[in-house]
Amino acid sequence: MGKYLFLGVVAIFVIMPIAYTISSSFKTNAEIMAHPEHFWPEVPTLENYRIAWQDKDFNIPRMFWNSTIYTVLCMLFTVTTSALAGYVFARGGDFAGSKLLFAIFSSLMFLNMGTITIYPIFQVLGILKLSSSLWGLIVMRFFSVGIINIYLVRSYIRTIPPQLDEAAGMDGCSFLGIFFRIMVPLLKPILATISILAFNASWNEYLMPTLFTLNNRQQRTLIVGIMSLKNAGVSAANWNLMLAGATIAMLPILVVYAIANRYFVEGLTAGALKG
Amino acid sequence: MRKKTKRTLICYAILSPQIIGFLVFSLYPILWAASKAFYYYTGTPSATRFVGLENFIRIFTVDSSYWKTWGNTLLFTFGKLPLELPLALGIALCLRKGLRGAGFFRALFYLPCIISVAIVGLIFSNLFDYFGFINAWLVKAGIVDTPIDWFSSAWSARAALIAGSIWSSFGINVLYFISALSNVPEELYECARLDGASGWTTFRKITMPMIAPVFSTILLLAINGTLQTCEYILATTKGAPHGSTYTVMAYVVNRFVPGFAEMGVNVGYGCALALVTAVIMGMVALVYTKLTARLQNIYGN
Repeated sequence: MGKYLFLGVVAIFVIMPIAYTISSSFKTNAEIMAHPEHFWPEVPTLENYRIAWQDKDFNIPRMFWNSTIYTVLCMLFTVTTSALAGYVFARGGDFAGSKLLFAIFSSLMFLNMGTITIYPIFQVLGILKLSSSLWGLIVMRFFSVGIINIYLVRSYIRTIPPQLDEAAGMDGCSFLGIFFRIMVPLLKPILATISILAFNASWNEYLMPTLFTLNNRQQRTLIVGIMSLKNAGVSAANWNLMLAGATIAMLPILVVYAIANRYFVEGLTAGALKG
Repeated sequence: MRKKTKRTLICYAILSPQIIGFLVFSLYPILWAASKAFYYYTGTPSATRFVGLENFIRIFTVDSSYWKTWGNTLLFTFGKLPLELPLALGIALCLRKGLRGAGFFRALFYLPCIISVAIVGLIFSNLFDYFGFINAWLVKAGIVDTPIDWFSSAWSARAALIAGSIWSSFGINVLYFISALSNVPEELYECARLDGASGWTTFRKITMPMIAPVFSTILLLAINGTLQTCEYILATTKGAPHGSTYTVMAYVVNRFVPGFAEMGVNVGYGCALALVTAVIMGMVALVYTKLTARLQNIYGN
């Protein structure tokens, strides 16, 4: 019984901030400021959502669309490149330099100069005229080394008996053919996990999309737009819009989590801490 | 032989995005920043000049505000983890042994981890606002007479930040601890029960030693993650009041990265700070792994 009491109390602390945010997004700004102790709105109103939807500067439909494009492309790139790379490192038959390459990629986890490197990154992407565009960040994400995902795929493939691809090879299936015909169907669970984690991470990103849309407000993602409202100085006057925006920004994540929370949880424990 | 060469070429072709990305978006930027650390550089080519070790000398002799952010980062880390990790371990212990509803609680406690830290920052800024939910209830419950201005003094701002940060990340540690505990053989607990060991003794003599290796990994991830906290601070206080809540990473961004920093700032100096920061972070991880390896040896013998 004591256990349930403890877990129940923690559960309330976990739920409360989210529930209060969603509930407050249906209050007027006057009520948010004057009666913060109210949990439920006195008179629920959709006014905040109407303003947010129609505001020219805080253009929610546009930002939602930008977030969606960014997230979907990042997800696709991540899952494709890390699945292929994991396959190459697991079954490439120790091609020349494979160990060195893997070690170099792994060392990236410990080499972190932080965001100051945005200057040279802008310099490179500037050549392609992409330094102040969300597309520049998308290009960069395509070329990024997702070492943790590569680890996940590699160790998953190592549990698949090699006789399977040897047999397919003898039947005339090429190296890439084996990947697409044999591996991809078997990798579905781990690829689902990687996709979902990539979806979550890119939808939530704040700093990098901010830097890439500094001079391009039309391309701001939801998170960037909401945070720029918070940093606008007169933020107190805008709690209603920010809370409505935050609710909209959380909604897709919450829906996906409700349907597929298994994949979130499995991927994290599968990769990080075996043994 | 020909077949092997062809295979190698295919492998490199498949890995080409990562190899290009590594060279262009990881290695080159790191080398660029490391070299600019020896320059006075504001972005205007005509003003750029080589200054040798001047930036580094300034960091280690005059720049107290940078080292103050290290102090804050350590305060933040050692304020947060001693609360968060025991909480997560306690929850994981409760959820063990086929408790009814364990799956539900596990999914629920992980929920905050999937929300953007920027949004978490916004939510907690709202909750801890002067005219916010927490103040309203503290006054209503009679705990304080007047509302607390959380973000205007260093210690209350730190407390509010730590509360939000624990909320946002304890769920992942619950998952880690559950997976660590699931590797402890059930027979050990049965033996302890037969010997009449109390719950606390069992925890101290069986659970802790058995999960010690994984625990040290969890602790490393948690320390590393917390020391590198950046976006969360940018989304909440941005260092206020008076730089007392800056983490190192957030400080460098807020002072030297476009969109946050002032125009015409000496980026070369920012690069020197980033380099010093990266080296210290790397050393922390290295010293930690060396120390825990030694601890485990002591335990093992």
